[in-house]
Amino acid sequence: MTGFSFIVLFGVILWSTTHFMRHQIDDSVANEIDEIVTDPQSSNPAGLASVVTGLARHSGGFYYLLQDSAGKVIAGNMPGLDPKLGIREWANPPRAERPRGSAVRGKGVAVDGGYLFVGWSTHQLREMEEMVTRSFMWGLTASVALALVGGVLAGRRIMRKIESVSETTRDIVAGDLTRRVLATTAGDEFDHLAASINSMLDRIQSLMSELQQVTTDIAHDLRTPLSRLRQRLESAQRPDAAAAELREAVAGTVGEIDVILGIFSALLRIAQIESGARRSGFATVDLNELLGTVAELYRSSAEEKRQAFLLSVANNLRVRGDRELLLQLFANLVENAIKHSPPESTIALSASHEAGRACIVIADNGPGIPAHSRTKVLQRFFRLESSRTTQGSGLGLSLAHAIVKLHEASLELWDNEPGLRVTVVMAETPA
Amino acid sequence: MRVLVIEDDAETARYIVRALRGEGHEACSQSNGRDGLRVALSGQWDLFIVDRMLPQIDGLEVVESLRRSGSAAAILMLTTLGGVHDRVQGLNAGADDYLVKPFSFAELLARVAALGRRAGRSGATTSLRYADLAIDLLSRTATRGGEPIELLPREFRLLEYLMKHAEQIVTRSMLLEHVWDVHFDPHTSVVETHVSRLRSKIDRGNAMTLIHTIRGSGYTLRATK
Repeated sequence: MTGFSFIVLFGVILWSTTHFMRHQIDDSVANEIDEIVTDPQSSNPAGLASVVTGLARHSGGFYYLLQDSAGKVIAGNMPGLDPKLGIREWANPPRAERPRGSAVRGKGVAVDGGYLFVGWSTHQLREMEEMVTRSFMWGLTASVALALVGGVLAGRRIMRKIESVSETTRDIVAGDLTRRVLATTAGDEFDHLAASINSMLDRIQSLMSELQQVTTDIAHDLRTPLSRLRQRLESAQRPDAAAAELREAVAGTVGEIDVILGIFSALLRIAQIESGARRSGFATVDLNELLGTVAELYRSSAEEKRQAFLLSVANNLRVRGDRELLLQLFANLVENAIKHSPPESTIALSASHEAGRACIVIADNGPGIPAHSRTKVLQRFFRLESSRTTQGSGLGLSLAHAIVKLHEASLELWDNEPGLRVTVVMAETPA
Repeated sequence: MRVLVIEDDAETARYIVRALRGEGHEACSQSNGRDGLRVALSGQWDLFIVDRMLPQIDGLEVVESLRRSGSAAAILMLTTLGGVHDRVQGLNAGADDYLVKPFSFAELLARVAALGRRAGRSGATTSLRYADLAIDLLSRTATRGGEPIELLPREFRLLEYLMKHAEQIVTRSMLLEHVWDVHFDPHTSVVETHVSRLRSKIDRGNAMTLIHTIRGSGYTLRATK
């Protein structure tokens, strides 16, 4: 950009100075011609010739030419020219001084009996052009050099910043997740970049610690069935084990393996849901039908515990989501309510419109969750209890949490005074 | 039925083939997608059992190719652990049913039988009959020996499914899928409860019981004295 404006500036100055000088030459030439032509002696050809001869002898810098109509030189200090009229330039001055490219610029007029030309050397003009060009070249070189130096310096500063970011990320890759990129207060693009990288690192760090927690929980959940499995098989190995005992051990083994497989299955689903894999399968889900099915699935369980099961769903309640996942979510919550409430209690499943959102509530009047645990549980919902990956709906609360997040819904726990009230709120969708 | 099993795990393939032969089906297996597809297209088969993950040509592609070639045979897909996408993808590719590994003999055989029946079924029917039991699919009514039976909608659907698979074993998971459209096991007695309620309505006061529980497998509709 700088170079370009420089060149434009150069062009403008060059043009205006040379234009000025050319103009000056034209003016003096015009004056000189005027003086010659208006000289009283010039009223006749012979007088004109002697005027021109006289002027040429003075050699004041002007070039003179007077030739007759046949082209023969009568007076002056120039060779003959073709009798062009008006302002013209002649490229071959006879004088010794000859700056490259200089010419004679002048004007030709028709006179009585011939042709008169008066001109002036353009060598000063050429010199001016050369000088201006030369200064500009120097100026351009200087500014390019300055730009280069400035660029190198700025580049070095940028390199230093980039190197600092690289160093930080190297440390992070090596395992230190607490490192962050240093940001200055300059507010430049680098600080924006640093801020973005840092917030990404924050997210990664929180995901990593969530993952560590989940992995620990799952390892714990797996250890129990695996140990039971081992115990059964070990007792089946006893030499005095009877055939019936062996059969029982084998049956129990199959059962435990199913539990373990269920845990792995749940893990896979959680991972897939958390990666948003299912969002493309979203469709309109009628909550009436969905919650009706959930109620049907679990009513018998409630009845077995002599619990009352109440269902109340508003009409025209539709949400956008994955039917299968939502089914599992609410099945999970209802199953928990039934499991953790004593016999004779009441389980209520309801859904209503709340200002453009669907509000689904699973409430029980069991022991509930103490207030301080309730807030902890919200943050790490999957740590609600030790049976994190229950077999019930084949899912744990961590899966319920993942489903809620995938659907951009909210899940909250409240004191049902007494008991627990779980609310799931999601956007409603028109028919 | 002539069944081709395309499964790369040798033990699983052996297990499946043994179960099928035990039921009287003709069965053999191929261990990769390319050979499986070749054998499938060059023979006459009633049922394909295709594993989702296969070497050379993957299970989904095999199923799609089979359908593209115009095969009308039934296709049962197998998958490990039941990923959230798998079932829908398998059905979209052209499979008729989907089974998550590991599965029991009973589950496999029940589904194979159901698919065999499917292959033989004709077009739209508006009523089903078995023994002295009859149901009308349009009016959603049922009669036994000419006497009408009051059924709740869910009970009707349950009876409909049992009748469509009369004399075959239907498993708990098959019922959950087709009667409740639920694809996980809620581990509740919902199926058992509904079956026994249905049984009391259908079989009460009748010398011939039609609805039976087969321990370890599932349920069946069968006329026995």
